[in-house]
Amino acid sequence: MGGAAVTTELVVSPESPEPGEPPRGRKVRPGSGWGGRFVASPYLLLVPAAVALAGVSLYPLFYGVRASFTHYLYGRDFGTNGLTNYRNAWNDEFFRQAMETTAKYVICTVTIETLLGLGLALLVSREIRFSSPIRVGLILPMTIAPVVVGVMWRLIYDSGVGVTDPLFQLFGASPPDVLAHNTSAFIAVVVVDVWEWTPLIFLIVLAGLQSMPQEPLEAARVDGAGRVRLFMDHTLPMLMPVLLVAITLRTIDAIGTFDQIYVLTQGGPGTATRLISIYAYNTAFLFTQYGQAAAMLVMLLIMVMLLMVVAVRLMRRAAR
Amino acid sequence: MPRIGLYLGITLILVVALFPFWWMVDTSLKQPVDIFGGVTLYPHHPTTSNYSRLFDVYHFGAYLENSLIIVAVSVAFSLTIGTLAAYALARFQLRFGLNQSALVVALLVRMIPGILLVIPLYITLARWGLLNTRLGLILIYTGLNTSFVIWMMQSFLAEIPRDIEEAAMVDGDSRLTALWRVVIPLAAPGLAATAIFCVITTYNDFLIALSLTSTTQAQTVPVGVSTLIGKIQIEYGPMAAAGVIGALPIVIFALVVQRHFVRGLTLGAVK
Repeated sequence: MGGAAVTTELVVSPESPEPGEPPRGRKVRPGSGWGGRFVASPYLLLVPAAVALAGVSLYPLFYGVRASFTHYLYGRDFGTNGLTNYRNAWNDEFFRQAMETTAKYVICTVTIETLLGLGLALLVSREIRFSSPIRVGLILPMTIAPVVVGVMWRLIYDSGVGVTDPLFQLFGASPPDVLAHNTSAFIAVVVVDVWEWTPLIFLIVLAGLQSMPQEPLEAARVDGAGRVRLFMDHTLPMLMPVLLVAITLRTIDAIGTFDQIYVLTQGGPGTATRLISIYAYNTAFLFTQYGQAAAMLVMLLIMVMLLMVVAVRLMRRAAR
Repeated sequence: MPRIGLYLGITLILVVALFPFWWMVDTSLKQPVDIFGGVTLYPHHPTTSNYSRLFDVYHFGAYLENSLIIVAVSVAFSLTIGTLAAYALARFQLRFGLNQSALVVALLVRMIPGILLVIPLYITLARWGLLNTRLGLILIYTGLNTSFVIWMMQSFLAEIPRDIEEAAMVDGDSRLTALWRVVIPLAAPGLAATAIFCVITTYNDFLIALSLTSTTQAQTVPVGVSTLIGKIQIEYGPMAAAGVIGALPIVIFALVVQRHFVRGLTLGAVK
């Protein structure tokens, strides 16, 4: 929970230096005042940003933790109720189910995206001439709103208007109506995520491959190393720092997936695609159980925090 | 011929990546009869009636207007606030290790999944009477974007040599005028890329807008798109048209910043 500690620092510090006192580290030359009469410190420049950041992160997170200990009835605050929300959430079979589904979803999507992105980049890396049109084509899926992604794929999946049913019929299979059955619906939302985010891994690996120094590779090749050897001993270790950053960021994002699912299946059929975000949203906004939803999210937050700390560490290392 | 295999591979990747886009455009230009009339890869009887229905019947103009105002104002605010903070972090040795820790905080705020924030934000806005208002969304997006602006602009500003603004200050500029007259123009490409990223994420956001708004008074484009699905019978034509309109400005912006795109998405880990 290193994040919480540094956050407080950021909020406290703008007030701490006396106005007019020059910042310690760097000398401020006379005549280089902050414009006009008052000589302020760089700390003042941080104040608006600190307020803005605290307002949308620190405050809601604090408030969310507080809400998780609060009894809400029909959306109204009826004081604290200790750990009741947590106990309810923990004993809630659907909560566990949603966590499991989320775990399954995250593992499936991130694994497939990593392997596919890596493989495709290795395939294409030899042909640098094409990298520009490919890049343009591939950034499009991840730029547009996930809601629009959902709409696109509904137009593909839905029977009557879509492409999947006719495609299956073409090969003599019965039309599957993908979003109507548990397993196929889950596969369908995974496919959408893979379509949207494989390009990110692909482009990262491609950039890594193209900026890689060629001499060690050549040397190893001269020494008679095979392709697999070259990849395992040289290419992969070079890509690793950046690849790990991408995987961690992708994992954090995938845990919070909401938009496409909301448009495609709303968590259905049954509970087949009900990720934790969908379930928490429904608990809060459909059933106005703010307290219980907040308790679920606090538990999720702890997991995400751990991942975020890992992400920051990895990014620091990759930057070196 | 391995070469041919390579070209086939590249073509296949692009077809898979782009087909859903074409299919949506295709559907949006089809007559209702043709939408259900089997797979046709281009509209045989093209029509714009889906688009006119979208605006006449489903009031899509209102969503667009809300999005435009909310995005413009919040991005302008966050660029100002964030750049000032980024400048302080890039140029001064601050106490308490602030230079590092503030950046980490900005990064963490950027990474928090929206679902973790949305319930408390809802309760807070409800208390302040800001639910279902543009102002409420503007405030929230300003805060969220500021984290990204600080993170990106700090690295862009750090690349600009100090001597330039110090020369300007010797010539009688104050810190802030030197920042405005000399540094910002030099940082303009980075600033533009950052701005476009903020526009894209703000315009695309769904969860926050969905939870905190309830009528066309403040609902944004993605929420508008989703309302077309909530109906008992899905109107596929207008829905496809809405998707096209929702995607179009973003596609254009994305093409402008494509060189910086991976840098932005990986939060600077890949340059």
